[in-house]
Amino acid sequence: MSSQDHLKDADTEARFDFKQEQRAAFQSEKGLTEETIRVISADKDEPEWMLQRRLRALQHFQRMPMPTDWPGQPDLSEVDVNEIIPYIRPDIDVRGGVDSWEDLPDDIKDTFDKLGIPEAEKNALSGVGAQYESEIVYQNMKKQWEDKGVIFMDMDRAVREHPDIVEEYFMTKCVPPSDNKFAALHGAIWSGGSFVYIPEDTVVEMPMQAYFRMNSEGMGQFEHTLIIAEPNSEVHYIEGCSAPKYSHFNLHSGCVEVFVKEGAHVQYSTVQNWSRNTYNLNTKRAIAEKNATMEWVSGSMGSKATMLYPATILKGRGATDTHITIAFAGKGQNIDTGAKVYHNAPNTKSTIESKSISKDGGRTNYRGLVHISDGATNAKTSVECDALMFDNESTSDTMPYMEIEESQVDVAHEATVGRIGDEDIFYLQSRGLSEDEAKQLIVAGFIEPITEELPIEYAVELNRLIELEMEGSLG
Amino acid sequence: MSTQASSALTDSVVRELSSRLDEPDWLLETRLEALEALDDLPFPDVIQTPGRRWTNLEALDFEALVDPLAQGEAKERDVPDGVSVLSWPEALADHEDLVRDHFGTIIDPLENRLVALSTALFSTGTVIHVPADVDAEAVTVRTTMDGRSLFNYTLVVTDESSSVTILERQASEGDLGGHRYYSGLVELVAGENASVQYGALQDLDEDTYNYTLKRARADTYATANWIEGNLGSRLTKTSVGTELVGDGSETKIIGAFFGRDDQHFDLDSRVWHEGEHTTADLVTRGVIDDRARSVYEGTQVVGRDAWGTSSYQRENTLMLSEEAEADASPKLIINNHDTEASHSASVGQIDREDLLYLMTRGIGERAAKNMLVEGFFVPVLDEIAVEEFREDLREGISTRLHSRR
Repeated sequence: MSSQDHLKDADTEARFDFKQEQRAAFQSEKGLTEETIRVISADKDEPEWMLQRRLRALQHFQRMPMPTDWPGQPDLSEVDVNEIIPYIRPDIDVRGGVDSWEDLPDDIKDTFDKLGIPEAEKNALSGVGAQYESEIVYQNMKKQWEDKGVIFMDMDRAVREHPDIVEEYFMTKCVPPSDNKFAALHGAIWSGGSFVYIPEDTVVEMPMQAYFRMNSEGMGQFEHTLIIAEPNSEVHYIEGCSAPKYSHFNLHSGCVEVFVKEGAHVQYSTVQNWSRNTYNLNTKRAIAEKNATMEWVSGSMGSKATMLYPATILKGRGATDTHITIAFAGKGQNIDTGAKVYHNAPNTKSTIESKSISKDGGRTNYRGLVHISDGATNAKTSVECDALMFDNESTSDTMPYMEIEESQVDVAHEATVGRIGDEDIFYLQSRGLSEDEAKQLIVAGFIEPITEELPIEYAVELNRLIELEMEGSLG
Repeated sequence: MSTQASSALTDSVVRELSSRLDEPDWLLETRLEALEALDDLPFPDVIQTPGRRWTNLEALDFEALVDPLAQGEAKERDVPDGVSVLSWPEALADHEDLVRDHFGTIIDPLENRLVALSTALFSTGTVIHVPADVDAEAVTVRTTMDGRSLFNYTLVVTDESSSVTILERQASEGDLGGHRYYSGLVELVAGENASVQYGALQDLDEDTYNYTLKRARADTYATANWIEGNLGSRLTKTSVGTELVGDGSETKIIGAFFGRDDQHFDLDSRVWHEGEHTTADLVTRGVIDDRARSVYEGTQVVGRDAWGTSSYQRENTLMLSEEAEADASPKLIINNHDTEASHSASVGQIDREDLLYLMTRGIGERAAKNMLVEGFFVPVLDEIAVEEFREDLREGISTRLHSRR
């Protein structure tokens, strides 16, 4: 355990909230016009087809209305795309990421040091990508995986080096830009992110991680992650996010597309700790083929408002989906998150487990959809949502939707909401714990199903974040 | 909306309906306001998910089915001692103050387009008043519609510490060819410490579109319970709810439905916890057969000041046919942490093991299935206080089961 001590001792809040001086090699104008997009595309030296895709996405974005009529949704009226800087290329020499932390400018290296990324890489990861503002600045993978044909590279570079694959899979069959307003925005101005390709029968034993950091005020980050897991391969991908807090809003609108081929297994874990001025509006989706397994593990702690519903399309017979999500909303936060699963084939199975905690006026909402298509015989789904509330200023909503077109199914949904049990606290106090300690212990137990899915480093981190959220608010 | 229908909906039509019931001016004014607002009001909320609208009300030309001055029905009322069960003209003649104090206070006449239509055009209904401390026997009201359309308005006022069970049944008679429209509004005032069970059994013919909205407001320590049986109609959009305003008030909303052929049921149960230490229990069970489709929405809202709330919801749907579809959305909206709330929903088919077990005991497959479906409804049937009503619902279910192809 000693190697994790630095995580326990560190002042977690300071670790996320520090700021570096804002400097860039290239920065786009504020706002979103065709001209901006041409400039970004040219700065990235992109092929013509990618520019055309961006421009088509822009048209979708301009046509589509803002989502405003979802019951209980976060207020997005502040999100004015013309007020954000969509593209900031950090001031580094090597495009596509250096492969040694020492080669980074001091301020950027210092940022990731403080976030503990190089340390984690040594101990627990197969590969790391680190994005600063709009582009990946560090990208490395242990050599053994490279030898097996595993690709883990920055998305911008993949457009140039693997155009055939990217052209086929990038925002075509999984998340088309027409999917929603923010997917369209993303399609127009995406930058950075990861491209992961796991060849057939390859099992990547230790997780890969990408870390996304916004440093500048008023910027938008739009990284794109594309994961292709060929038949019978296995990978665990971890995404971490953070930003310092500014008075002006920041926007994060990432997009994740995962292709889980026959018999493959992908776990996608996210620990999101955006600053409390960030709007986090993402689209994440996986397509699971025959006997494939997709697992989403998500911890949403940060942001001012989050709207995120990772989706799995169970396309092949016998495909399986697991969602484990935890949301923690404190003062001024509205965390609207959940899961979507489409059962489009027989013998498919999904399990959704959602936990949420709201306090000090925070609002959490589980919003989920399970759709079972006609012909998806013997589909099985189980949804379980549990919410803890700390006070009567906070709000906890649960809004599941079930659409069942097939009769030979097993569909179950359960949800509970309540306060921390007085008896539980009393019991722990009788064992010598203070009330605060008792509450923290109960919360740690409440979220354990999530933490046990993560590597120990991240579990510790998540617990620490939650302790931090709880501090000063108890008693 | 078709212009032809709108031309049937005029001020003078509404004035005529109002004068037939001998109404005071204030009620006529309320109707006229509702009529006036009609075009600006939205349809009742229906659930929408990406690419799918659970019930499509806009596609129906409700107003085209309306022939306001030719509403036809037969009404039977059983009136126990100590209770006033009155037609609108009677109620307005003898209890105008009571009606005026409560009419439109629980259901806003302008809540949505179909409520406004109903308020503007109701031609019949019942006003029930249970005075303080009266412990009444069952009131029964049977409405049999025999015209193209019918708008029925029910107002129930129970005073302090009274108790009553009310049974309402809707059916239709006569084959008019083409579609029909039934619309019913029920406002229920449960006074302090009063106890009310309101049961409704809807068995309209399968050419009839049905819109109903039933809502109760429960005062301190009051109990307002609803039983909803939905068997008939071509399409039903119904909402049943209770506002638990008084401390210690309680509600149960018990629902049973059986859809067949291409029937469409959109059923909605709601509870608002506003007082302290209030309790709600929402239980709905339904079966869908053939190409029928069910949509269920259950919403439990706990207010900021609703300390000590207990709120439970269960919904189970049994699918008997490959072609049937079931949508469900149970919702929790919790604004006070001093709450114990849960909901659950399930969709499935008859348990194969149960079926096999019965068959090994020598029961034929068909009979075994019917037994299991009848058994599925038992938890709901057990909640019904009045035997006559329970038997009617049981028989309605049984008739449907035995006429299966």
